[in-house]
Amino acid sequence: MTNRPALIGGILLAVLGSLCPFLWFVLTSFKSQLHVEAIPPTWWPDGSLVFYASALFEHRLLHYVRNSVMVAGGTTVIALAVATPAAYALARLQLPGKTWVLGGLLCVAMFPPIVIAGPIWQILERLGGLNTHWGLVLPYVSLTLPLAVWILTTFFHELPVELEEAARIDGCTTWQALHKIMLPLATPGLFTAAILTFIYAWNEFFFALLILTDPERQTLPVGIALFQGEFIMPWGEIAAASVVATLPLIVIVLLFQRGIINGLSAGAVKG
Amino acid sequence: MAGLELQHIEKTFGRTRVLHGVSFEVGDGEFIVLLGPSGCGKSTLLRIIAGLETQTRGSISIGGQCVDDVPPPDRDIAMVFQHYALYPHLTVRENLAFGLTMRREPKPVIEARIAETAALLEIHDLLDRKPKELSGGQQQRVAMGRAIVRKPKLFLFDEPLSNLDARLRASMRVELKKLHRRLGATMVYVTHDQTEAMTLGHTIVVMNRGRIQQIGRPEQIYHEPANPFVAGFIGNPPMNLFEGSFRLEQRELEFRVGDFTFRFPFQSRDLIGADSGTATLGVRPEDVTLEPQGSGHVAITGTIDLVENLGNDSIVHLMVKGQSLTVRTSPGLRLHAGESITTYVKNFHLFINEKRIPLPSP
Repeated sequence: MTNRPALIGGILLAVLGSLCPFLWFVLTSFKSQLHVEAIPPTWWPDGSLVFYASALFEHRLLHYVRNSVMVAGGTTVIALAVATPAAYALARLQLPGKTWVLGGLLCVAMFPPIVIAGPIWQILERLGGLNTHWGLVLPYVSLTLPLAVWILTTFFHELPVELEEAARIDGCTTWQALHKIMLPLATPGLFTAAILTFIYAWNEFFFALLILTDPERQTLPVGIALFQGEFIMPWGEIAAASVVATLPLIVIVLLFQRGIINGLSAGAVKG
Repeated sequence: MAGLELQHIEKTFGRTRVLHGVSFEVGDGEFIVLLGPSGCGKSTLLRIIAGLETQTRGSISIGGQCVDDVPPPDRDIAMVFQHYALYPHLTVRENLAFGLTMRREPKPVIEARIAETAALLEIHDLLDRKPKELSGGQQQRVAMGRAIVRKPKLFLFDEPLSNLDARLRASMRVELKKLHRRLGATMVYVTHDQTEAMTLGHTIVVMNRGRIQQIGRPEQIYHEPANPFVAGFIGNPPMNLFEGSFRLEQRELEFRVGDFTFRFPFQSRDLIGADSGTATLGVRPEDVTLEPQGSGHVAITGTIDLVENLGNDSIVHLMVKGQSLTVRTSPGLRLHAGESITTYVKNFHLFINEKRIPLPSP
């Protein structure tokens, strides 16, 4: 117990350290141009909303938000739709080479993006997927699948087999058992996988920059990066846009946090 | 019509064979208990009957119909699992309704069946609770309810009482028995607990290492165990078993273990097929008394090693010329470790070649 103050100090340091850049951006976004460029820097903003107005209306921030919602939402839905049955099969069925499949997925997830960028671009060009949202969703799905499958496999694995067998005896087909019993119980896993997939797709910059050159299609990270002009760096607008870009993630995580924490499977099996 | 019929069921997992051609028949409305130590294949057998596992060889019929190719949902069975396996995200009512809903029973029928089952098991107060809000005993009742509510052809129980404390287990045992009498359904019950087996079963199937050791009524299994395994497995404290050698003489069978020699009048040599060999002699602790009663009892003198007082009786562990002998006595006697006492054995069990050899009284 003597380490308690040190522990609390460490935690505070870690939290503050990771929050610092974000806090600075939030503060910056509420400043006016004069304060942003002041030397020495001013800490407290003057509460100006100029940058927000400029980001929203001059830089068409909402347009990028819409694109990002479509891409990240599409990625999440498709990745989960594919990952769920895959994970269920990996967790439950006696498949030969199951560990190889899981290991292979892990390897795939570890490819550096730059290695696969060329091939992906070429494939998409042939398929006509450049500058389309589905052209971005497709690689996102394949890049997020390994993580989603791993998370869901772990969750399905921890659910007692007896529940599924009880459902089978109660008259369910395998699909019905998955849909009516296992999925509701795996909700925390589904939420976790969904949030991580969504965050990945929402934040991804490299492929988005590569595949989407048409400003009409570009997503938030690319859009914000392109705020910058040839001679000016609109820090204020970038800060405001970044805050707007982060808010949905925070809201989603807070909303689903209960779903993640809620130990729905508690009491399924005694012991 | 047989409620359930198994023919030469074999099951192999990889290279391990867990069931070696198991066959038996369960009459309609009968309560049969599969009894054996863990790993004897009894649970696998139950799962094969349920359709959760597929037999490697052999055939199963339920209610006169072969179900080898019938998946679990269509076998018209209900199963109560060891860990209850209640659906945690559904209320008790929804748990009970689930199987009926899946079978597209009309709503009024479902309601009526739930009401009936809840009344039978006295669980109406729990209907709107989630499983995690129930005690172990209550969960157990709901798990039974989920089976009963469906009115299946066959009930399967996989060690359903093993997670309850001793008192609750005893009362659930009684209730189960009453329940069976009321429903009159065919039930197959898996347990490793001999008390449950003896009290619940019309018929007990004793299993070991994937083979049936004996099928019989509880008293038959207790009084006439078919082989040393059954003899040692049934009864508490377990039967004293002595490995020794036998020799057939003129109308007499002589059994030797250590310095002891027992002689039994014996007629039919055909039963054994040899004149000498190894044999196992069994003595139930309750077949040994401290007072000579009647004639022909064999007297054995030994030193008391340990006395366990159980309240209603005492278990005395004796050392007799290097062999240990367990005796069940009434607790009134003041016995102390180190004392020498004489005991009288009134009944023996003899096994040669793993087979019971009927003995007249010594």
